[in-house]
Amino acid sequence: MERLRRNPQLQAWLILAIPVAFILIFFMAPLLIVFIYSFLERGKYGGVEWAFTLENIRRVFDPLYFKTFLRSAYIAIVTTLITLALGYPLAYFIAKSPPKRRGMLMFALMIPFWTNFLIRTYAWVMLLRTHTGLINVTLTNWGVIDKPLPLYGNDFAIILGLVYGWLPVMVLPIYAALERLDESLLEAARDLYASSSKAFWRVTWPLSLPGVAAGAMLVFIPSLGAFVTPAILGGGKSLMIGNIISNQFLGAHDWPFGSALSMVMMVAMLVATLFYFKWTKKTEATT
Amino acid sequence: MSRKTTPTASSDTWERIKAQFGNWSLTTYGILGFAFLYVPIVILVIFSFNDARSISKWAGFTTEWYGKMFRDGQIMLSIWNSLFLAIVSTIIATILGTLVALGLERYNFKGKTAVDSMFYLPVIIPDIAMAIMLLLFFNMSGIGFTPWKVTFFGTKLAVPYSVIIGHVAFNTSFVAIVVRARLTQMDRTLEEAANDLYANAWQTFRRITLPMLMPGIIGGALLAFTLSLDDFVITFFTSGAGFNTLPVRVFGMIKKGVTPKINAVSTLMLAVSLTLVVISILLSKRSDDGGSVKMGF
Amino acid sequence: MTETNAVEIQEVVKQFGNVVAVNHVSLQIRDGEFFSLLGPSGCGKTTTLRMIAGFEMPTSGAIYIYGERQGYRPASKRPVNTVFQNYALFPHMTVAENIAFGMEMQKVDKNEIQRRVAEALEMVQLGQMANRKPKQLSGGQQQRIALARALVNRPKVLLLDEPLGALDLKLRKAMQIELKTLQEEVGITFIYVTHDQEEALTMSDRIAVMNNGVVHQVGDPESIYEHPADQFVADFIGETNFIPVTVVSVGPEKVVELGTGEKVTVGWIEEGVKMGDKAVLSIRPEKMDLLEPHQVPRTPASGVAYVKSKVRHLVYVGTDTRHTVILGDGSEVVVRLQNIYIGDEPWEIGEEAILTWNAAHARVLKE
Repeated sequence: MERLRRNPQLQAWLILAIPVAFILIFFMAPLLIVFIYSFLERGKYGGVEWAFTLENIRRVFDPLYFKTFLRSAYIAIVTTLITLALGYPLAYFIAKSPPKRRGMLMFALMIPFWTNFLIRTYAWVMLLRTHTGLINVTLTNWGVIDKPLPLYGNDFAIILGLVYGWLPVMVLPIYAALERLDESLLEAARDLYASSSKAFWRVTWPLSLPGVAAGAMLVFIPSLGAFVTPAILGGGKSLMIGNIISNQFLGAHDWPFGSALSMVMMVAMLVATLFYFKWTKKTEATT
Repeated sequence: MSRKTTPTASSDTWERIKAQFGNWSLTTYGILGFAFLYVPIVILVIFSFNDARSISKWAGFTTEWYGKMFRDGQIMLSIWNSLFLAIVSTIIATILGTLVALGLERYNFKGKTAVDSMFYLPVIIPDIAMAIMLLLFFNMSGIGFTPWKVTFFGTKLAVPYSVIIGHVAFNTSFVAIVVRARLTQMDRTLEEAANDLYANAWQTFRRITLPMLMPGIIGGALLAFTLSLDDFVITFFTSGAGFNTLPVRVFGMIKKGVTPKINAVSTLMLAVSLTLVVISILLSKRSDDGGSVKMGF
Repeated sequence: MTETNAVEIQEVVKQFGNVVAVNHVSLQIRDGEFFSLLGPSGCGKTTTLRMIAGFEMPTSGAIYIYGERQGYRPASKRPVNTVFQNYALFPHMTVAENIAFGMEMQKVDKNEIQRRVAEALEMVQLGQMANRKPKQLSGGQQQRIALARALVNRPKVLLLDEPLGALDLKLRKAMQIELKTLQEEVGITFIYVTHDQEEALTMSDRIAVMNNGVVHQVGDPESIYEHPADQFVADFIGETNFIPVTVVSVGPEKVVELGTGEKVTVGWIEEGVKMGDKAVLSIRPEKMDLLEPHQVPRTPASGVAYVKSKVRHLVYVGTDTRHTVILGDGSEVVVRLQNIYIGDEPWEIGEEAILTWNAAHARVLKE
């Protein structure tokens, strides 16, 4: 007992022993398995053959599948940009509100985010479906359109669903950055003859960029790996990487290939994250 | 040097009009923004009371769908499953997460950065990736999807250990983050005072640290509970065959077709989420010394 | 007016909700002068400055800059520039970009911008800092850059909001001299806000002393110091003694009676104080002397007061010694005697002393 008290390192390991064991067995090991499986051959009756191959990795970059990667990236990027365009003014609105109201507004913003993602996406299924969706039915009844609008089962629906789901997450860091902004900097800009718009683009915007970057990462990564949204808004077609990976495990039983796809996806995300960290380090040093 | 002109009465007014217009359009945008976030949810709730099979035309008010929902054996089973899973995984994750927070916040040791980063991984990894890697692991390791057969509030459940483990895996990290935030805010001098008053390490922990940490631990537990109830992707892939939580059930229903019954189930889930949020706010208000990690994402 | 005032403030009121921050203030600030707004925190001096700058609009009243009524003109359209209390240097721009900013906004030609930025940096002796970021500069350097950034735009009036507050004492004193010299060289009107009365006295051509949104007195440093108009100004500027008295006569001879019954003549009585009123006699510690009882001349000079007192307390402060004496009625008076007399015996606690002063230095103010 005495040796325990004298040795903080021992204490630390004792406290962390069980959780670390847990995460090693049930997280790190599975991660390792996925990594290894990417290089194995597919077994004849499902499962795997223990033979090393690069075939899976190669197939990932096969135009057929790589196209989906590119499409997922495209959807993720568009989602991020739209969320930014919609979210920045919203963050600005909240930041410019009287201090007492800000907390309330942020709370109101986050409530939807704390409810189930599946439910929130389903709400759009309800609205966007081609023949039975609320929007199309209402517009047809009002005589505004003859044919239903193609709002469902396409990229539009997926992007809309993702934007809707991740908007609060984009607003949060931007709001934090804007709130921290020193009011006297804007006054100084105005004192130096800048118009409102010049003051915004030359002072407010650059200083809010760290918040923008954080928000963009928080939206881009989950959007790239989206599964639920394309599954129920994409109209049953495998449109994004998440769905293709899912198919390899639930349908085609090609585990090595599914693993390889997963690995490539995770590497892509890691690279994006590293760029983000490097970028923040650089701007932090000079701001 | 300056290009200023003498202001006239009308240019005065023009300046004020411009300023007012700017404010007005920002407020309008704010309202529209919040409307965008809330309207779909509100419509969803409204149509759960629709007296018709379709959800595109309002045909009158009824609570029939809620009745249908509660009489649906499969749905009720999935509700019990969700609850049991959430409770069990929360308890385990809270204990583990608190240990992690204490270990990482209070000690420095070789390899700390590695351990620290390791516990962040479940938070940043996309859920589909985590889901399939757990799927592979359980398949390969022979653990399979053996269920824990238990009777919970009179209902016989068969909850696969794999799902429980999966939930604990991601919840632990979230609990750790919340508790750790609370730890950093804690006043260390209180513990020093306890030591000064002859308390040993264990007594200090039990009588001072733990009680002061409790709001954070409860906050973390609430977060874990919510995440567990809401989880779809990881549950979907780690449950093997036939195990449904409510979100998994809903997903199946959506694939089959859109009916107000789904709206009713959704509204129920929304109500539960909201209640949990309100509870966590009330709890954090009561612990006045800055336990505001509800925004802790 | 024969020549246009740089800034004219007419009956300006500024109200925030129920709080009246500036209460019917009128000022005429002359072309080329170094004018200070002096007062304690919350007196309205900064609000007044911000109204001149255009960051706040008056609730009522008018502001003119070189004869032009400003109305609701926003700050970005006024021919004045501001040096902020926290400098407000743009952290994401270099020093040179900061200085260039105002000219860029006015679409000045690029070459001229370059030239004038270099000039401005030379003027504050920070030429080699052009490409650094503000974060890399010391407090004093940042202050000079803030100054350069404002002056490079050649404003008609420069507004300074407690610019030296964040600097340590020695640096502050050096900057005070620098600013004053700069202002004389450049010739622009400076309007300077401060709560430090020594600073205001050192640098200003004229001072407006403010409290609770109201201007108590406007004048050059000597007038403010030697002839304070009321109790607030007498108390706020420098150190002063307030001795309770009753007014015996207000003219042609101005006489008051101390609590001890002794009568003394005074040099000035505030308007509105009548015979028989209770008032305070205000006299500065350095204007008095202590005599040994036998040193009082047999025929006391007219206009000089001799009052009995007892030495209570001595504090040595280097250049002089503060002697606290008690009068017959218990009133405390502080006398500052310079430590230059060699050979004299110092005053001792408990000694009887005759407090003496010239009536010209004694002002009677409303209670």
